[in-house]
Amino acid sequence: MIRSCIWLLERSLRPDLAEHVIGDLIEQQERGSLWMLGETVSALWHLHARPHATSELLLSIVADLRIAARLLGRSPAFAFVSVLTLGLAIGATTAIFSVIEPVLLRPLPYPNAERLALVWERNADGSRDNVGFATFHDLIARSHTLERAAAIGEWQPTLSDHGEPERVIGDRVSWTYFRTLGVRPAIGRDFAESEDLPGNNQVVILSYGLWARRYGGDSSIVGSAISLDGKPMTVAGVMPASFDNTISPRVKIWRVLGYLNQPFACRTCHHLRMLARVRPGVSLEAAHAELDGIKAQLVKAYPKEYAADGMLVGRLQDEITMASRPALLALSGAVLLVLLIAVANVVSLQLARAIRRAQEFAVRGALGASRARLVRQLLTEGLLLAMLGGAAGVVVAYVTLPFLIARLPSTLPRLSAMHVDVGALGVVTAIVLLLAIAMGLAPARGRFINLSSALGSGRRLSGTANHSTRAALVVAEVALAMMLLVSAGLLGRSLVRLMGVDVGFDTSHLLTLEINSTGPRYPNDSSVFDFHDRVREAVSALPGVVSVAVANQLPLAGNLDMYGVADVDNPPANPEQVPFGDRYAVSSDYLSTMRIPILAGRGLTAADANDGANKVALVSDALAKRLWPNESAIGKRIRVGGRDGPPRAIIGVTGNIHHSGLDAKSTMQWYIPERQMFFADNQEALAVRTAGDPAALVPAVRRTIAAIDPTQPIVKIATMDDLVSASTSQRRLALVLFGAFAAAALLLAVAGIYGVLAGTVSERTREIGVRSALGATPTSLIGMIVGQGGRLAAIGIALGLAGSFALTRYLQSLLFGVAPNDLVTLAAVCVLLGGVTLAACFVPATRAARVDPSTALRSE
Amino acid sequence: MLGELEQVVLLAVMRVGRDAYGVPIHDEILRRAGRDLTLGTIYKTLSRLEEKGLVASHVGEPTAQRGGRRTRCYVVSAAGKRSLQSTFKALRHMASGLDVGLEPT
Repeated sequence: MIRSCIWLLERSLRPDLAEHVIGDLIEQQERGSLWMLGETVSALWHLHARPHATSELLLSIVADLRIAARLLGRSPAFAFVSVLTLGLAIGATTAIFSVIEPVLLRPLPYPNAERLALVWERNADGSRDNVGFATFHDLIARSHTLERAAAIGEWQPTLSDHGEPERVIGDRVSWTYFRTLGVRPAIGRDFAESEDLPGNNQVVILSYGLWARRYGGDSSIVGSAISLDGKPMTVAGVMPASFDNTISPRVKIWRVLGYLNQPFACRTCHHLRMLARVRPGVSLEAAHAELDGIKAQLVKAYPKEYAADGMLVGRLQDEITMASRPALLALSGAVLLVLLIAVANVVSLQLARAIRRAQEFAVRGALGASRARLVRQLLTEGLLLAMLGGAAGVVVAYVTLPFLIARLPSTLPRLSAMHVDVGALGVVTAIVLLLAIAMGLAPARGRFINLSSALGSGRRLSGTANHSTRAALVVAEVALAMMLLVSAGLLGRSLVRLMGVDVGFDTSHLLTLEINSTGPRYPNDSSVFDFHDRVREAVSALPGVVSVAVANQLPLAGNLDMYGVADVDNPPANPEQVPFGDRYAVSSDYLSTMRIPILAGRGLTAADANDGANKVALVSDALAKRLWPNESAIGKRIRVGGRDGPPRAIIGVTGNIHHSGLDAKSTMQWYIPERQMFFADNQEALAVRTAGDPAALVPAVRRTIAAIDPTQPIVKIATMDDLVSASTSQRRLALVLFGAFAAAALLLAVAGIYGVLAGTVSERTREIGVRSALGATPTSLIGMIVGQGGRLAAIGIALGLAGSFALTRYLQSLLFGVAPNDLVTLAAVCVLLGGVTLAACFVPATRAARVDPSTALRSE
Repeated sequence: MLGELEQVVLLAVMRVGRDAYGVPIHDEILRRAGRDLTLGTIYKTLSRLEEKGLVASHVGEPTAQRGGRRTRCYVVSAAGKRSLQSTFKALRHMASGLDVGLEPT
């Protein structure tokens, strides 16, 4: 900086001046009391004598900027509207880009992240399925294309020392997990191979956040034992604060897997995800082909343990962003449309101003300014506006980004990497430069340098070229606004459709929470069942509680717990090709508490839970129809969870429910008494049907459960209505953003149309006066102006319709129950846009109708 | 009649005395008048004054803290002093009888 200032001064000033001026500058700089750039510009400004290209240019730019600033100051309304428009649009673009860039564009924060992939077993329908441990084990043993791989299983332990009992989200991972990612613990050590065995796997690694929060950042915890689910486990290490676990962003603790030769390490137990790193120089396609080959060998060796051939391999970044990518891309498209509209608007304002300033430019031209010089002046004015807009945009982005991030789903990867950063600011800079050029050059196309006409008459110049440019801009604005409005409309209708979905049970007045029973107090299954019974009895005694039920999971609570369901008396040839259903191991009053209808047969009774009672089950209507399409399900026998389970007699058929979200593919369910399951669930959902507001009961319910066992955490407290709205929260966010963008676009487009027509009316005052003097009625004058605006709007709407047809199919995955070219939405948007633009036409039109012919003609 | 900036700079040169070059002149004006002029402004004014013959300058010594560059030192000429006197006289006459804090002494 200092050097370049000195360099510039040495070349720009007379040598004798340069000598002592630079000396003085250096002396002041040494004392640390100098604003070098300001001093340099001032010295150039006051002292330069020797013409030098760089300093000449700098000086004239400074001069142009001064003039531009003064001119902007003289039309504060124009400056304010322009800067505000640009600021909001640039700010929104920057904020959205700051969210998208780390997720979709920036490489994941691991060395050679492009070699990382997730591997899945392929279902018969081509969909992804988790990998069984035995399959994982065979794949890595036989593969030559994989450098390393790790299996990942979900794990939610209860931390019960160092403070309140707490459920944490964790993962159980192969000892190779962090090595595959290419990261290391910041404190302590990584897992060892010998620890990845049953019995040796009481070892965990903590995330930096958990370590800092719960253990106060105490490094002596490393190497010592902490209590997880009542068992001591050694802390091997702590991951660095910078480690971003993008595969499961919410995980705070990792335990080594230790699955080898365990019963749940079977080939058909699909509950592990598989992370792999391919060798350098090996493509993912090559790895995929090899894994397909190995799977084929396995299917041949174990034909009854696989439902289908083939594996699926996806680049890690693609896999973890798959769910959010369509929404993020749609949002970035939307925000770019808004930016385009804002630019069109400001350029249009510039054009209008250029017409008003035609005389100024003509005079400057007459006094010897070249066309290039005038264009540069306009460019500088554009640059100043764009810079101010950009600065406002950065402020807007800084203010809005935290709000935006807070509303993003916590499962979105790279949340911690979202900042208004260099990349985002680079985008802003690029936008600003392009804007400056657009705003500078668009008015230059006009005829402001036509000396004779401009100087000849102040009133009569029309700037035809500018008018057609402005009209084109307005048409573009309307078209772009139309596309945004259609998108917002489609998303809105999707949400309405979604809220109308019948979930199959009564969501109101229902409190849900999760209770835990881990540790030495619960040595066996019956102690867990007893705890559930005690909790149910105590909570149902509370005033305001209608009924209470427990279940291993609840609908819409984000659980996935499915088992294959086989018809005992008519099993399929390949036992893996059975339908899967959500497991509901429940207390006898579960169906009545949830108000899930029983369509045939009977519900569960307390007697079904007794020792020695017959094994019974209910199935959902969809599952019954899938297994016995033409027969009654009652009395049939099913087997769940492998081939050695007991047969269970169907006693009833229930209504279907939405288990995994209002918009998710519907699944099938089966219900059994929890005491008839072959294990007890340590994490159990509690559903409390209340008479009044369910949220009001939370403190009482908490106290009651804590009185039974204060060492167990109570988590996931929410009303069912909360869960329903949470399952639509991403759609709401998308809708709110699209809605805001669409509203802004509509406003800008309307302002654009209004501006063009108002300009026309004031420029055509004389012509309108003549028409009026020759007998044109106010109505016909209004018709003339409205017709002009209507034409622009109609062209814009037509183009917007075409654009909507082209673009809305990219929204497909965000829509629900609505086609991308939904006629109702398109028609509604056309009516809205047409109505609003026509309304905007009426103000200038009535002004035209009120033109007094005598005044208009006399003004000549 | 001298401009305001010219008066300030002339007085600053007189106050600094020997070795009156950019930096001390700047500091003197900042200290007494509270105005943080840029060196560009100061040298611009000085060169205008030199053209009018109100100051004279000579090249001073280079020092290490200036990156080995020489100073240019200014002294107020007799014409410069006369100019200041006539300016102040004119100002006093103009202010005479007015309550502007510049009464004749």
